[in-house]
Amino acid sequence: MWDQILEDAPRFFGPWNLLFLGEALVNTLLLSYIGAALGFMIGFGLAIGRHPRLYGILPVRLAATAYVEVFRRIPFLVKLMCVFFAFQLSGTQATLFTVALVTVVLSAAAFAAEIARAGIEAVPAPQWDAAEAMNFSRWRVLTRVVAPQSWRVVLPPLFGYAVGFIKSTSIASQIGVMELTYAAKILNTRGFSALLCFGTILVLYFLICWPTKRIGERLEARLGRRAKA
Amino acid sequence: MNYTLIYSQVTGHIPYLLGGAVLTLQLAVISFLAGWAIGLLNASVLHFGPRPARLAVQGYVTFFINTPLLVQIFFIFFVLPDAGILLSPYAAVAIGMSLNAGAYLTEIQRAGFQSLRREEIDAATAMGFSVPQLVWYVVLPHIAKALYPPLSNQFIIQVMTTSIAAIFAVEELTGRAYNVNSLTFRSLEVFSIVAVIYVLLTLVCSVALALLGRWLFRVKARVF
Repeated sequence: MWDQILEDAPRFFGPWNLLFLGEALVNTLLLSYIGAALGFMIGFGLAIGRHPRLYGILPVRLAATAYVEVFRRIPFLVKLMCVFFAFQLSGTQATLFTVALVTVVLSAAAFAAEIARAGIEAVPAPQWDAAEAMNFSRWRVLTRVVAPQSWRVVLPPLFGYAVGFIKSTSIASQIGVMELTYAAKILNTRGFSALLCFGTILVLYFLICWPTKRIGERLEARLGRRAKA
Repeated sequence: MNYTLIYSQVTGHIPYLLGGAVLTLQLAVISFLAGWAIGLLNASVLHFGPRPARLAVQGYVTFFINTPLLVQIFFIFFVLPDAGILLSPYAAVAIGMSLNAGAYLTEIQRAGFQSLRREEIDAATAMGFSVPQLVWYVVLPHIAKALYPPLSNQFIIQVMTTSIAAIFAVEELTGRAYNVNSLTFRSLEVFSIVAVIYVLLTLVCSVALALLGRWLFRVKARVF
């Protein structure tokens, strides 16, 4: 086994393959970071729409709650398939990348809404009363009272979830999006040993995920310390 | 958009899909229990073990948490045969999911171990408890209540994660959805029904776990 891998390695890490993997890596990064960023923004909107003292009028609250509860309970693969076939049947010409991106956004929004809710709930009740007593508008309560206090609670876990979405994008290989996992499958089909193909992308995934996770942990330690002091 | 959703062709297959849900639960339970055992062992090592063992456990946890489960299973399924270990798809998925869950459950249980007061451990050591005895009789009963909510949360995650088994042609819920899809070509109908089944399945699990927790530990878990 090892002799064959040693023989394969120079060919595997040839310029063409490196370019191929690089392109796949860029796609994985774009898919997960853009998807997570968009999804997180929508998620914040959902959390604001769920809170009775912000913009939570009843129908909006019910819709937002239903969305969050349902989308957090469907596996990524099933969501991906639903989005994929919905695009296909609606006759829209969407690239596979768009299909995967939409799926990441839909999931990220549901998870971010829960984190943001925890952040909003971390603002103590007297602050809400005080803002109300001073006749703050909802928008001012949000931007001047809630946001400055809750971002410390909300920001660190988002990085953990971002790592989750980087990992989820590997499932997008199922519909044929040219990202790392699909690239590895193609290289494997071309006859390179499975150890080289999957081993290399495992390392690449680790190199993306680990720093992202570390940033979240560092932020949590720093912001937590400052919140206590 | 000229497509009409026709559910009537798919509804007949719902019992077949629910049969897949049983396999889904089975995979989730197996991987959760195996992962829990790995996690307990690892957390004990992190707390009481020598430095090299601690580093090994930390390496395992960091690696498995920062790489995708799908690729881990690809690795197990396609690379181990080169080394002469042939695994069935089901076994490969179960092993991959257990190792992956083991990493997360190590993290969860490590946090539980750290919440234990030093005096408890000192007292048990003074009374001549060995480390396994200490973990089983002193640490676990203390942290069981605090650990119950994150553990049941992890179980729900395991239920959803099993859908990855479909990629390896294991006929659990999602795998059977692929089968029904290729039989009826009512793709969106099939996968939307499966999505609903997943929502209901995890809801039932959440409620059952919350009730169990209330009965066992008087944990007031909220389902929503």
